[in-house]
Amino acid sequence: MPKDRSEKVRVTIDGRSIDAEKGKSILEVARECGIEIPSLCYHPGLESFGACRLCVVEITKPGWEGWKKLVTSCLYPVEEELIIDTRSEEVRENRSVVLDLLLARVPESDVIRQLAAEYGIHDTSYTKREDADTCIMCTICVRVCDAIGANAIATLSRGPDKYVDVPDKDACIGCLACALSCPTNAIPFEEFVNGKRKIWGREFDLVYDEISHEPIGTPEQIDHFAEKSGLPKEYFLKSDKVRKKETAVTFARVQF
Amino acid sequence: MSKRLFVTPYRCTDCKNCEVACSFVHTRNPMKPALTRVRAYTLMGEIKSVVLCLQCEDAACQTVCPTGALTRNPDTGAIDRTDACILCKACTMACPFGNIHFDPAYEEIVKCDVCGGDPACAKYCPTRALVWAEEPSPDLDPEEEIEVMPLPWAMTMPAK
Ligand code: FES
Repeated sequence: MPKDRSEKVRVTIDGRSIDAEKGKSILEVARECGIEIPSLCYHPGLESFGACRLCVVEITKPGWEGWKKLVTSCLYPVEEELIIDTRSEEVRENRSVVLDLLLARVPESDVIRQLAAEYGIHDTSYTKREDADTCIMCTICVRVCDAIGANAIATLSRGPDKYVDVPDKDACIGCLACALSCPTNAIPFEEFVNGKRKIWGREFDLVYDEISHEPIGTPEQIDHFAEKSGLPKEYFLKSDKVRKKETAVTFARVQF
Repeated sequence: MSKRLFVTPYRCTDCKNCEVACSFVHTRNPMKPALTRVRAYTLMGEIKSVVLCLQCEDAACQTVCPTGALTRNPDTGAIDRTDACILCKACTMACPFGNIHFDPAYEEIVKCDVCGGDPACAKYCPTRALVWAEEPSPDLDPEEEIEVMPLPWAMTMPAK
């Protein structure tokens, strides 16, 4: 752990005085103290990107003579003497605009509709996107894929036409982590169709456990994880249930 | 010295109290024994044992995790799955002992967290095949009275 991480700074969030770890973002510190800030593109396992702007909060400092500003809390690091308001009128208004715009982008998304309803928005005041999927361009899938090391997903095009896709289909290992981590379930996939898995327009074989015939994963996924971790590939070729039984036998044998 | 879970297979009767207790503590309503983190087995007709996460020192699950989502809890000694998990399931494939799973219903990775330092499975094990202690317990005197919570108590435990 880098040294500056354990250094503390004193901040005030919604009137509560908090000793926060230096280097952490406002969002992280708030959540640790049970103060909920809504977010869509933030993921604790990934680097923050600040794409959705839903996590805005208002900050000020004693020396600012009453000046305040709105910042994205998932990116903004805590500082000494920072006074943070997560629920001010401005904050709510700003989040409402964000959600209104998101609703125009993904009118069919249940997740966004529910969030918007919490802010009193039941229909968007902007023009709805036609033939809209439920992607909000949070780029969690891109970052998930990078973290895994497959680097298969990219954002393509610019501005309002921007979208995510897998430009090189061979780079995808078919692990489904992107689809499972997507906050708005925008990445469709199919499991066990004729013993195969489908995602990003590609069909993957599945490796099955020899004894129990349970699916383990795609061959690409197994190779990738084995290679990246440096662990023996045999580790990856049995289902967890079969292994567990083997462990039971080993336990019992060791005893007698 | 800190406590850990000790397994003594020859005391295990495969009664499955541990599985029930674990499900009560860890699975949300409705209780799902299929997703218990501890399993009791009778194999090949005679071998009985309980199996659960060994909280390995040099753990394969931790090695393979791309986001460092599996972290050692300094208070309990257990490896905890944190929110940094991105659901790649590499850990479930890599664990040589089959002790970390994917729960498809709630879309999350589940593993033994020793109930935060007070494991329910050991509390409800009637034969002390599973004990939460600093050292493995010496052989049991069959006459010795064992103080274990009766299972009906488990039935009234609040489900999370
Ligand atoms: S969560 Fe901070 S910008 Fe999306």
